[in-house]
Amino acid sequence: MSEEKKSVSVSGAGVIAGGSYSRVSISGAGKISGDLYAEELRMSGAGRVNGHCEVVHLIVSGTGKFEKAVIADEMKVSGVAKVEGPVKVKELKCSGTFRASEGISSEYVKVSGQLHVGGDLESEIFRASGGFDVRGLLTADRIEIHPGGRCRAREIGGAKIDVRRYSSREHAGLLNSLMRALSSAWGGEVEAELIEGDEIYLENTKADVVRGKQIHIGPNCEIGLIEYSESLTVHDDSEVGKQSKI
Amino acid sequence: MGDEHLISKKEVLEQMGISYGQLYRWKRKGLIPETWFIRRSTFTGQETFFPKDKIVERIGRIKDMKGEHALDDLAEVISEHVNAKLQIAFGKLKQVGWFDEELIRFSGISENERGTLSLRDALRLAVLKKLRRSSRDEEIELASRTLDHVIAKTGMDLIAVEGKALHLFRKQLSGGGISAEISVIVIAVDGLVVDPEMRRIESVDLAAMLQQVKLDLAKLCGPEEAGAELLGTEDKTNGREEHE
Repeated sequence: MSEEKKSVSVSGAGVIAGGSYSRVSISGAGKISGDLYAEELRMSGAGRVNGHCEVVHLIVSGTGKFEKAVIADEMKVSGVAKVEGPVKVKELKCSGTFRASEGISSEYVKVSGQLHVGGDLESEIFRASGGFDVRGLLTADRIEIHPGGRCRAREIGGAKIDVRRYSSREHAGLLNSLMRALSSAWGGEVEAELIEGDEIYLENTKADVVRGKQIHIGPNCEIGLIEYSESLTVHDDSEVGKQSKI
Repeated sequence: MGDEHLISKKEVLEQMGISYGQLYRWKRKGLIPETWFIRRSTFTGQETFFPKDKIVERIGRIKDMKGEHALDDLAEVISEHVNAKLQIAFGKLKQVGWFDEELIRFSGISENERGTLSLRDALRLAVLKKLRRSSRDEEIELASRTLDHVIAKTGMDLIAVEGKALHLFRKQLSGGGISAEISVIVIAVDGLVVDPEMRRIESVDLAAMLQQVKLDLAKLCGPEEAGAELLGTEDKTNGREEHE
């Protein structure tokens, strides 16, 4: 236990035995057999871990496959990653494609690429400008979505939920109109069976049921039922089946 | 199961005076077990229901514990109980329902020189305590070893995933005029199928048990320094003076 931890890298093709390492880097095709504990794991080639993967920094810019749980402080996916076990991280940034067969638990999640989650996604903050598909519940204290593709979750729940076609704060002027043109060309929208929160603002959203305290429905929404306890406004360009104050 | 009284989420929020944000936050923190969220389709659309007595009691407890402190502080204290492998003072354990001196000796969990034990052992104790009603000594010992092994291997968070339970089975074997009974301990998620000759003696929902232990412990003591300020003015005035 007290021996110094080694670093290891695979740049051709190779197999690394599981264990404790300082840094592990795979730039060719590498497989880690067994459980891995490391400060850092970088996969810029094709990598696979067939045990648990517990690291501080996990960076996948190539393709990475993880057959069991992934536990990390920071996980960045700019390539393609697939995790077959549960994912427990503090921060997740996905600008590539990330597929988690089970659930994801994090404190901060940012998606600008594609995210697929087989179970629930839990975070304190969730920001998406790409697309996602969450089979279970997407829950966070603050949920901000600028749909850049198909954004789907069975349920969305949290304190503050904000779905806007593009971010008016971040992109001013020319860029703003470019974003607007692009996003309407892509037709990004949010779909959910149920959306629940205290403060909800929605644009371009299709949902069966929306429940909350203060609900503002912006343009291009189709909502089956709205139940609110304090206030409700609905934009003219949206359709709402039923609404009731509870 | 299924016969419990259910209460809808709307009613919970209204009755307990809490917000969606709070409820979802507590769920994420693991303060409300996943299995309590029962999804049903109703004529007004998808709704979530809870076992009424359990959720009302639990939320009451969470609100109690909160006292005048911010909820986030509380959540932090509770999550640290898991992460920091918190040491719990032996003396404190006497105040919680699942403590049992005899079991401690029995399960080989020993008090260290600081007079404390880890959350891992606390969970183990709680499970054993529940088994004890219906189990023999050697079965408790077997369960204890199984749990210890599993927790050491996969860690606390992974064993206490939703629906994972520890089961005790017994099976009668006979042949040649001799009959014997074997005991089997199994840790599995929902949907475990065993042969019909296995008799289920007891099952313990590990996730629910861990939550219970966390709540009990969070109430009793915080991590030494953090706890002092976070839970410092809690109702237990005499409760927190064991420092070594």
